[in-house]
Amino acid sequence: MNIFSEIYGTYFRIAAKLLGNKVTDEKTVRETVKHEGFRDSVLFLPQKLIPGGEDWGLFRRGENNTLCRITKKAPVKVLTKLQKMWLKAKLSDPRIRLFMDDETLRALDKRLSDTEPLYRREQFRFIDRFSDSDDFYDEKYIKNFRIVLEAVKNRKIVYIEFVSGHGKRMSGKFALLKMEYSPKNDKFRVYCYLLRNDRIRSSGIINIGRITNIIDTGRFFRTPVSMEEYFSGRKCSSPAVIKVTTERNGVERFMLEFASYEKHTVRDLETGQYTVKLWYDTQDETEMLIRLLSFGPVIEIMGPQQLREQAKRRIERQAELLEKYREEE
Amino acid sequence: MAGFSELIKNFDKTRDYVRDFFIYGCKVRSDFDRKSVRTYGDEKRRVESWMGDYMRYDDSVRGRSVSISVDSGHIPENPLYNAYYSKSFTDNDIKLHFLLTDILQDGKSRTLRELNDTLNSEYEQLFDDQTVRNKLREYVDEGMIIAEKQGKTLCYSLSSDTADDFINSFRGLDDALKFFSETQHFGIIGNSILKMRRLKNDLFFIKHNYIIHTLEDILIPDILSAMDEKRCVCFRTFSAKRLKEGDLSGTENNVIPMQILVSVQTGRRYLAAYIPGLKRFSAFRLDYMKTVKKGDICENYDAVRAKFSRNISHCFGVSFGMRKETGTVTPMKITFFADEEKEGYIIERLEREKRCCSVEKTGEHLYTLTADVFDPNELMHWAKTFIGRIARIEGGTDTVRQRFYNDVSRMQKMYGGDEDEHIQ
Repeated sequence: MNIFSEIYGTYFRIAAKLLGNKVTDEKTVRETVKHEGFRDSVLFLPQKLIPGGEDWGLFRRGENNTLCRITKKAPVKVLTKLQKMWLKAKLSDPRIRLFMDDETLRALDKRLSDTEPLYRREQFRFIDRFSDSDDFYDEKYIKNFRIVLEAVKNRKIVYIEFVSGHGKRMSGKFALLKMEYSPKNDKFRVYCYLLRNDRIRSSGIINIGRITNIIDTGRFFRTPVSMEEYFSGRKCSSPAVIKVTTERNGVERFMLEFASYEKHTVRDLETGQYTVKLWYDTQDETEMLIRLLSFGPVIEIMGPQQLREQAKRRIERQAELLEKYREEE
Repeated sequence: MAGFSELIKNFDKTRDYVRDFFIYGCKVRSDFDRKSVRTYGDEKRRVESWMGDYMRYDDSVRGRSVSISVDSGHIPENPLYNAYYSKSFTDNDIKLHFLLTDILQDGKSRTLRELNDTLNSEYEQLFDDQTVRNKLREYVDEGMIIAEKQGKTLCYSLSSDTADDFINSFRGLDDALKFFSETQHFGIIGNSILKMRRLKNDLFFIKHNYIIHTLEDILIPDILSAMDEKRCVCFRTFSAKRLKEGDLSGTENNVIPMQILVSVQTGRRYLAAYIPGLKRFSAFRLDYMKTVKKGDICENYDAVRAKFSRNISHCFGVSFGMRKETGTVTPMKITFFADEEKEGYIIERLEREKRCCSVEKTGEHLYTLTADVFDPNELMHWAKTFIGRIARIEGGTDTVRQRFYNDVSRMQKMYGGDEDEHIQ
């Protein structure tokens, strides 16, 4: 019982798809492999499916050069024990309540009554997760979450009242695009466009936990939306440029911690130092800055100038504070 | 590249390469001096094939460097799941998979002999009994086929639990799968269910997303089951530092597993365990770990677990310090400056990020965090995210305090006034 098994593999999945039809043809085989396979699968997989000496024998040639499956029915997709154990483990996760009501959860639990969970929640410990996570047991939160999810799925326009991060009461009509979850914050948010007269006024992100009222307007946002455009509109105009030294295992620590960012790295052969360009959402600039500063002198923010200036101000203030309180002692 | 296969037998080897490409972001062929040129070429080709548009190439005097550049907060599916979907197999494996499930789809149970006769008569396929028996046994272990004795004979039938039935019967499960397939723990398994139904996550993005973690998931089930069975585990660790020094053999570890520790900020996951030989707790990075094997039952598991529960409450991160588990902890006090009127968000930050420490107001605009933790170094890495706010540091060790003062002083010089010539 291992997830690294061919029964979950891409080749098996492609074969299953093609065996879904009694009859197929070479063109369909090649196109399916191209769309569903890895980049190079077209070089290796078609000859295993199409009769010709090297094949697995899952198809035989029919009339008019068609390919007929040797099986009688479309393949059945049986869940494995591992998959059911995983599902069972998720039943103990409070976040599943956001998606399924109590009655459905009870029915699923009953269906999985003979299955052991793959893990117990207490076998894991999140050591640095923030403590003010969303309350996934709160009925109001669950209700709001479901309205948001429905609006995202169907691109509905919703009216939302919420409290901003700065404590301001805000409201408006929004087109909701996608949801976001942060394991660090253990919070859900939703990417949105604020609308005025049905036109996009600005992009934004709303914390589900900060929504005080949400109403489905019953209308749909029909303007095509590109998430790439949405993200690029929020991206920094120029990347943070960071020099990372080898001191205190800095390179590995830095690369791992900032692995979730889009980045470009260049290594200086003589010094072993790396210069890393990091692209980030402008709204997350402070978060990134404080994480960079926590590396101390192991790294240096080389640019852009305004980011470096912010670091400089914080460091100067830090030195002043230490001086001031040392004097008071 | 004759003999190249997209599929892999050995997951560990691939883990190493993907990690190097992903984490370091600039590797050229000569950096992989531990491996042959052919191996490097094959592994690179596989990673390219899985990662598609996320690969990046840069030419330098040292050669073409290859890296993976993913903004993992803005992707609907972890591309590294492809590594799991690349397991190699034999011709018999795939044939028997589709043929046996095709025969058993009617819900009837059959003996081995009946199955093999059907394979022969209806599908014109000849297999020896042992091959079919092995495959049936394998699928019984996987839970896809149910084996029941009827008299003295074992009869096989297909499990009726299908992905289609589950998703159709339990409203909301499809959306839940979309979410859980991209989050911890074992998102890859959820993704495998989605793929059975040809569904894709089109609803969620994951911020602070360390997609590399999925490669370690292969190790965890054995560790979890060792915990459940109160057994020791044995594994080898290969740290980046030791590999760089040419130590390819790694270190063998025999430990009693306690808990998986997950850092959602540093991108690391660990196994917290008790080392009987040293009589102390320690945390082992999962990304440095290979070949986990379950060992003997640990007679005093519950007692060790109880000790662990007491100890872990003094870990700020994952370090148990260098003293034995009965040792003392080092109390430390860090005082932060925050104007209550204008900077309430700093106090909120302290409250939500303090972990096992306590925070109290100790003066005008001053808040003191008291830390009764094993390793003050871990605390200071976090405390430095408050640079510009730290008024006082007390306790801990002289070295830790001095290092902080030195760091501030070095950073002042680094970013210092008129000497600042580095600005781009």
